[in-house]
Amino acid sequence: MDSDYSIPFIIFAETFTFNIICMKVKWISVLVDDQKKALKFYTGILGFIKKTDVPMGEYSWLTVVSKEEPDGAEVVLEPMGFAPAKIYQKALKDAGIPLTMFHVENVQNEFERLEKLGVKFSMKPTQMGPTTLAVFDDTCGNNIQLIQV
Amino acid sequence: MAFYNNEVARLTKSLYPHDDLTKHIIQSKLYIDKHFSENINLDKIAAKAHASKFHFIRLFKKYYGCTPNQYLQEVRIEKAKRILQKGKTIGEVCYAIGFRSKPSFISLFKKMTGLTPLAYQNKKSNFG
Repeated sequence: MDSDYSIPFIIFAETFTFNIICMKVKWISVLVDDQKKALKFYTGILGFIKKTDVPMGEYSWLTVVSKEEPDGAEVVLEPMGFAPAKIYQKALKDAGIPLTMFHVENVQNEFERLEKLGVKFSMKPTQMGPTTLAVFDDTCGNNIQLIQV
Repeated sequence: MAFYNNEVARLTKSLYPHDDLTKHIIQSKLYIDKHFSENINLDKIAAKAHASKFHFIRLFKKYYGCTPNQYLQEVRIEKAKRILQKGKTIGEVCYAIGFRSKPSFISLFKKMTGLTPLAYQNKKSNFG
C-alpha cells in the first residue's frame, strides 16, 4: 500500500521544486495622507529622487528611490484610500512606532542635517547594541526610523 | 516618552548591558569594513575587540547574527559586485578585495550570489 501513495507524492514534490520562484523586494509602501506633500518632503528634504508618477484617478502611482541606488527598491508613497488605514497609521504614530526604516551611513550626521531643515525627531540618535537609531516625523502621518549598522 | 522609545531603552539595557563590550565589537566590525582588502585574519580582528578568538566569535555572532569570517566574506563579495560593474577583470577584482587565489574567489562568489563573477558582470552589462 505504501508504494501506491509514495509515487504521486514524489512527482508532486519534484514539480514543486522546479516551480519555486525567487521573490525580490522591489517596492515598499509608505502610507501618506497627501501625495503632493509627501513627494516634496521625500525628495526635497530626505533626498530621494522621483522614479515614477503615473496618474491613477484621484491619486497617482508615485514612487521614489535612493540617489545611490536608482535601480534599487522603490518607496511607494501610497494614498490612504482605505479608511481603517488611518486608524492604523495614527495608532503607530501615537505609540512612536516607525512605519518603516531607512539605512544611512551615519545617523548622527543625518540627524544634524535634517534637524537644520526643520525635521522633528521623536527619538534622537540612540545606540542599541551594534546599531544606532533615530526616529523622525515624515509630516505625512508616519514615524520613520533611520538606522546605522 | 512614547512606547517605542521605552522599548528601545528596555531592550538595550537587557540585551547590551556592557557599553565597553559593545564599543569593542563595533570597532572590530569597522576594522573589517576598512581593511577587508588586506590580509586580515581572526587574530587581528579579535584583537580590536580585546577578546580571545573563540569568545570573540560568539560575541560577534550575538551582535551581528553571523561570524566575523562570514561578515568579512559578505563585505568582500559586495565590494566585488561593485567593482565588477565597473568592467574590471576577474583578476583585478580578486586582488582588490583581498583574495590571493582566483579559484577561491570564483567559488565563493558563485556560492554567495548563484553566478560566477563573469556571468554576474555580463548580466549587469546587459541589463543595467
